[in-house]
Parts: sequence; C-alpha cells; structure tokens
Amino acid sequence: MELQFKNPSFFERLKSMLGVDFYRLFHTPLFYIFLSIAAIIPAMILGTTGMEEGVAPMYTNTWHIIAGETPTYVVNSIAEYANMNMVFIFGGIMVSIFIGHDYKSGYVKQLFTTHPKKQDYMMSKSITCAFAMACMCLTYTLGAVAAGLLTGTSFEVNVGSLIIAIVSKMIMSLGWASLYTFLNVIFRKYFGISIVSSFFFGTGILIIGAAALLGESSILNIFLYGSSVYACLTSNFDTLIVCSVMSIGWAIIYNVLGTALLSKSDVY
Amino acid sequence: MNAIEIRNLSKSFRGMYALDGLNMTVPVGAIYGFIGENGSGKSTTEKLICGHLVADQGEIKLFGRDFTDPGIRVRVGALIENAGCFPGSSVYQNLMMQAINLNLENPDAEIRRVLKIVRMEDSASIKFKSCSLGMKQRIGIAMALLGEPALLILDEPINGLDTDGMRIMREILIDITKNYGCTVLISSHILGELEKIATHYGIIRQGKMIMEISASDMDKRSRVFVDLKTKDLKKTKSLLELKYKNVKEEKDYLRVYDVEEVDLIVKYLLENNDLIKEIKKNKIGLEEYYIELMSKKEDK
Repeated sequence: MELQFKNPSFFERLKSMLGVDFYRLFHTPLFYIFLSIAAIIPAMILGTTGMEEGVAPMYTNTWHIIAGETPTYVVNSIAEYANMNMVFIFGGIMVSIFIGHDYKSGYVKQLFTTHPKKQDYMMSKSITCAFAMACMCLTYTLGAVAAGLLTGTSFEVNVGSLIIAIVSKMIMSLGWASLYTFLNVIFRKYFGISIVSSFFFGTGILIIGAAALLGESSILNIFLYGSSVYACLTSNFDTLIVCSVMSIGWAIIYNVLGTALLSKSDVY
Repeated sequence: MNAIEIRNLSKSFRGMYALDGLNMTVPVGAIYGFIGENGSGKSTTEKLICGHLVADQGEIKLFGRDFTDPGIRVRVGALIENAGCFPGSSVYQNLMMQAINLNLENPDAEIRRVLKIVRMEDSASIKFKSCSLGMKQRIGIAMALLGEPALLILDEPINGLDTDGMRIMREILIDITKNYGCTVLISSHILGELEKIATHYGIIRQGKMIMEISASDMDKRSRVFVDLKTKDLKKTKSLLELKYKNVKEEKDYLRVYDVEEVDLIVKYLLENNDLIKEIKKNKIGLEEYYIELMSKKEDK
C-alpha cells in the first residue's frame, strides 16, 4: 500500500485545533461555571451595595457596574474599579485552568504531535479563550441588568455609547486572552504561578500604579487595561477603533512571543 | 524510503546528555522494537520525533521529509508515557477531541472502529478517570490508532495490560502493519512479548544506538543450545567437554552451546552409559541476547 501525505493548509490546521478547543469548552463544566460567576458577581455587588438601609448605594446607575462614566485610570473608590473589567480577572483564572488542564492531563502531547507549527496552538487558545471571555461579558451584563431591576437602580444611559462600551470590552477579550495564553505558556509547568500571574496582570495593578504617577493620561490606552478602561459610558466610534487596534495588536505580539517560546523550548 | 531516519541526534538536560549522536533507521512497514535500559534515551528519542522536545543538534526525517512537516505529523499516532486524556471527560469525548484534532471526516464511525479494535465498544460513556490502568492504556492505543496513522510511536504500551490485552495488542500491531502499511516504533521492557512481533530491533545504551538489526538477522545470529538433565551432572559435563567446546552447568541442568544435531548428543551419552532424563533444543532469545550484549559492552 502506497502512503500518501496531504499537507493541511494553515486554515485547515487552525480549524482542527479550534475544533478541539471549542469541543472541550462546550463539553466541560469550566466554561459554564465561569459564565455563572460572571453573572453573579455584578448582581451580588449591585444587590448588596444597593439594598443596605441607611447607606448610600455605591452605584446610582446600573450601567456604572458595566463601565465608568468617563475613562478613570486613577482609582479612588471600589465603585470606580469594580466594573466589567473584572471579567478579565476571572477570565485569566479560567484561561489558566483551561490551558493548565492541557498540560496536567498530558493531552497537549497529542496536540503537539499532530501540530508541529506552534502558532496553531497559540492562536487557537487565544481565540477560544477570547470567545469564552466575550461570553462572560454578556452574562455579566445580564447579571447587572437583573440586579438593577431588583434594586430599582436607574437605567438612564446613552444607549449607543453603552453598546460601544460593551462591544469594545468584548473585543478587548482577544488581547487579554492572548496575554493569559502567553503567561500560561511561560509558566506551563507551574500551574499555581500561572494562575497568580494571570490574576496579577488581570487586576491592571501595574497600569493603576502608572496612572497614580502619570495622572489621567490617554497614553495608558496603549495597554490592555488602559484601553479596557477607555471603553466607558461616553464611548464613541473612536473607542471601538482604539480597543480593536490595541486588542489585535497585543494579540499579535503575545502570539508571536508565545510561538517563539514554544518553538525553542521543550513543550512537555 | 525509511519511515524514520535520525542522524547525529543529541539532547541534553542541564548539561547531562540523554542522547549523544544517535543514529536510527526504521524501514517503512517495520515493527521496530526499541530496546534499552531505563534512562538510556528511548523516551527522549520518541519525544523528539513527536516534537515534544527540542534537539540540541541532529536531523530527524519522517518518510523522507523533515519531521516538522504538518502533512507527515498529522499521520503520526503516539502513546508516550500515558494516554493524555482529560480525566473528567468520557472515553468517547476524549476520542472525539482527537478525531477533531486530526480533522477526520467521519469521527463518530472512526471512534467506534478504534473502540472495537481495542475491545472497548461498551465503555465509550465511562469517564476516563473511572477506567482501570489496563483500560487507560487501551484508550491511549485507540487514540493513537485514530485516522489510520502512517507511523505509530508506542512507549511501553504493554505496561498494565493483562495476558489477553497483550494478545490483542499483538494482533492489532501485526494487522495495521500488514494491512495498512503502518510503521510501528515500540519500546518495551517485556522483551519476550516484543520478540513475537518485531521485525527490526534497535538497541540503545547511554544515548547511543549500539545495534540495529532485523529480526531475521538476529535469528541467524542467535546461538543454538541444548539443555539436558542426567542423574549425575558432573559426570555428564566431563563427558560432554571431551566433545563440545561450550558446556555450562546451570542449577539443575547442563547447557551445551552450538549443537545442531540433538541425536548426536543422545547417541554419544548412551555409548558412554549415561542416561538422559530430559533434553531440549533451543535458540537464544531476544532477552538473553540483549543481556549478553549489554554485559559485553560493560566488560569493554
């Protein structure tokens, strides 16, 4: 019998790798647990801070738990910090568990045996995790709306800006997912460090620190946390452009770095 | 064309060489028994072929092409160290992921086919973590068999299998090489089992290939011997030593090497009034050959 080898195209390779990741995403509880967490968190914050008698509610408008009124990099209160950007913190933990299981189970061996091109792995994980985080943004919105209705908090907003803010944050998921994929590739042998590092970068603490020194500067928008904050309730079409450019730009950088790292080091 | 061709392959871990200029040639359609002590570099070689490790130097070619060729690698099935399955997912789900990974056209039918081969048709819905060691090993083999691989790399696949499991494994490997033109690289410590299926052998020691030989050549080289029991072994030994060069006294029998005709020994001892209680002609097996080879290398 004569053996024949057909070279799969880049898209065929990516399709098969994405197929595996999405199959796993939809067939394991992890994704649904984090969707629920994303929905519960805003509901809990808005519910508990809005129903306490005699205490001024932390949020006077439901949509403030989605995004700030204006881009606020210098954080003065929890209310200014706690918004949809928190999805990127939980998302980081989810990505660490998702990728960590690849290594812990040993399944990554199968992936690397059949996919010698390491960019397939980086791109597939980034896209799948970005999708998961974007879905978390949606359940976060649903949780916020439900809590707003329950507490009777105001829903007054510029609908166009709100939609742009939510869509922009969803687009930012790609950049964040690529960062977390890269971190998990660096610390692939150390599951604990992967989670801690993802959490650390997800909080945006470095950018908040930089903002404390630099003040409210739009230069911070070049970072993932900065552009995520830039997506606010006064967003316009420019916001969408800035977030798209930054998210895709960082995704490319992290994918290139991750591919180089995987190509030059032992993967398992 | 060779299925695997490795030239001057080296790999070190923290300055210690696991592979030191390894050369290896595996012909297409062979069942290549890869033999060596623990830590000799078998798994490292297999991991390098599968791209899990990065070599310090050297060249790996699979079916005449560079081993990083995606068209070749998608036809490589591997079971190295463990099955590499998600414990919380079912057997079927794990196989489905691999079928999708291989871009198979009819994944469900293909999964049913490999589950039937490894005799696990009724275990598809069981969670991987609930499977026994033997079942896990069989699932690993099923994963490696998905999509009719051109090259199968199996690291200690017989470990954890019961007698029936070993027989099934033998049948599978012989079937896929004969009927599908698949090449198998298999490492195992159970040399007796390997001997039943391998068409070629590669013996590795301290990261270097010390011998590559076909099973037929090995058979030709294997020394013939006769084991016999008599009432008085010491007396028989002195008698035999007059006629045969290599006579060894074992625990309760004598071994006479390089004897082609058994009846000549029988006749000779009868003529000398020595009665044989038991006699058996045999050939040195892979295990004995390997031990002899290793002890010779140690002496050097």
